Amino acid sequence: MAHCERASKPLLQCIRNSYARSLSGVQVQTRGFQSTSGVADAQPEQSQPFYKSPDPSLVSSPRLERRLMRQGTAPIGSRRRRAALQTAGGLPFEQLPYQCFQEARKVLLADRAQKLEEIESMRQKIARLQAQPVEQAGGEISRKSRVTAMQQHLEKLKILADINDPLVKRKFEDGQGDMSKPIYRYLADRKWREYRRKILVQRITQMNVVPDVLPQCDPVVETKLYFGKRQIGPGDFVLAKDSITAPKLDVQMFESGEKLVTIAVVDPDVPNVEADSFDFKMHYLAVNVPISAVSTKVDLSQLSTDSQVVLPWVAPVSQKGSPYHRLSVFIMEQKDSQPLDFAAVKAKETERENMLMRTLQARYHLKAIGAHLFRSQWDQTTLEVMKQIGYSDADVELRRKKVEPLPYKRRNPSSFR
Amino acid sequence: MLQPRFLTPLRALERAFTPSIRSASSLYQPQSLITRTLSANLTIPKTTPTPSLLSFSQVRYASHASQGTANRHSRDPAGKRLGAKRSGGEYVVPGCIIFKQRGSKWFPGDNCAMGRDHTIYATQAGYVRYYLDPLQHPDRKYIGVVFDKEDKLPYPRNAPSRRRLNMVPVPRLEPIAEQSDLVANIDENGVQVGSVAAADAATGPQLRPGYMYREANWVIGRAAEAAGVFAKPYDNRNRWLAWRKRQARAERAAEMKSLRGNKKAAKKAK
Repeated sequence: MAHCERASKPLLQCIRNSYARSLSGVQVQTRGFQSTSGVADAQPEQSQPFYKSPDPSLVSSPRLERRLMRQGTAPIGSRRRRAALQTAGGLPFEQLPYQCFQEARKVLLADRAQKLEEIESMRQKIARLQAQPVEQAGGEISRKSRVTAMQQHLEKLKILADINDPLVKRKFEDGQGDMSKPIYRYLADRKWREYRRKILVQRITQMNVVPDVLPQCDPVVETKLYFGKRQIGPGDFVLAKDSITAPKLDVQMFESGEKLVTIAVVDPDVPNVEADSFDFKMHYLAVNVPISAVSTKVDLSQLSTDSQVVLPWVAPVSQKGSPYHRLSVFIMEQKDSQPLDFAAVKAKETERENMLMRTLQARYHLKAIGAHLFRSQWDQTTLEVMKQIGYSDADVELRRKKVEPLPYKRRNPSSFR
Repeated sequence: MLQPRFLTPLRALERAFTPSIRSASSLYQPQSLITRTLSANLTIPKTTPTPSLLSFSQVRYASHASQGTANRHSRDPAGKRLGAKRSGGEYVVPGCIIFKQRGSKWFPGDNCAMGRDHTIYATQAGYVRYYLDPLQHPDRKYIGVVFDKEDKLPYPRNAPSRRRLNMVPVPRLEPIAEQSDLVANIDENGVQVGSVAAADAATGPQLRPGYMYREANWVIGRAAEAAGVFAKPYDNRNRWLAWRKRQARAERAAEMKSLRGNKKAAKKAK
């Protein structure tokens, strides 16, 4: 706490001392204000002391933060900022007493105005091009490519217009960003790619999910996986008891529009003793699941059984002694976001065992846009789950096969004599 | 080198001079070039009981020593038997050493691993392959093991990995919940020690070696866990806790010091 208060000290000093004095003669467009008046006015209104009902945007002591989090509300923003806000009295940006800051804001506002003009002109250009007859525009293909390029530029301009706005940055950091707006989607995508996507890609490549299940996967949607309330990181081990019910997914798209996706959960590690190798098993398959940037929650157990779920959830269990099972979750975009014929898919895909994702991908023209991974192994709850789901090989354990040593061969015997 | 017959006239010469030399032994040190070089390589059998001229201590110059072969053995140590132990295409079983090396001249590829002295050994039964994999690393050489004799490494990049289960199904054994133990019975015949029927660990203390009624060691070790008592993780930012620990340690140190002091004082008093 001491650190954050020290960090916010300059702001407090500025507000308390210099601002009131220096402002006496200077005419600024902001409203004049008395130092600490906001806090002084606010405090009598609160009937109970701060520590009894801490404000999530102002709390800065770790103890009070913990108490808030126990109550279920997360503190907003960084602790340093909250400590600064405690004494700033909720001043809006445009009234902050830093001259340099205000000058910089003017520059940013001018830039934004220019970008808005550019957006407007680009929109008009696109409309004009689309209104032109095909011959005049230089052919259908040429026009289409030009329009696409211009639209891409337009999207870029939309982001550039808002990216330097301190309010946007603040809202995004507070988790209040509106994902229907391109700037927040862009910021969220950037943040995801900075760390979490790297972890995901590392896990699915190091654990060989990508060449084993699918030849390649370039995740563009963020996928979070929950069993109950617990979030499962990519590659975490999950107790058999926890994975009896289907997981919940949080699929965050970073593009506009809506997509129809196929969701599949595959286990490529089912031991096959006869063939001395591993088989695949499809634990879940659902088609025509709509996702968009604003509606992200997908509860696999709540999807409609007569229009979406092809193969319902089967709890993953691993036999005692078998190597860990990788349960890979794939979000696959359907071609042109067109719905698949559910009845046909359901009639065709009935066999869970050895259903290959590569085959599915080729058959229905799917493209993997998101992935997740969790693992299961024999644990203290597995036997119970096996009995519950009627697993046939519950009383069988896998042991390492004894390695036959090579026959002893004396190498180059003449040299030993 | 000089043959022994050359030494005979020298010895006669020596005998002729000896008396006069003896008289002036403190003044004259005979150091002919011949004898000096000879004494370095040859041991001359003593013919006379008188101290021989040739056995005088000689001066060695560095130039002579460096010409010798004194350092040959340290420069040329024994071979370490490095190199390939299995050639390409040879059949190996898990644990079979394929290549011994200093440093990682070769890297472990498919179904191989590297030991702590960079030895490459097989982790699966199969056929050895020596190969390059430019997609994985531009200039590393790899040693791998394939299951099928005709296969080549590296496999295509997006092909699913080839794996073997290498396991056999056996009936699953329930974990042993009971422990058998040694129990001593003392009666009029003497002490009878034998292993008795296994007792359930949960039933409580039993007579254990050392004639103690107590729980098994592992039960004692997990007592805190069973009671739900966990050590509080040390929080580096909790300075109050840090201060208390420091204080306790200082107090204990002071106590130990005072005890030591008392002992010394007691010794002195004796």
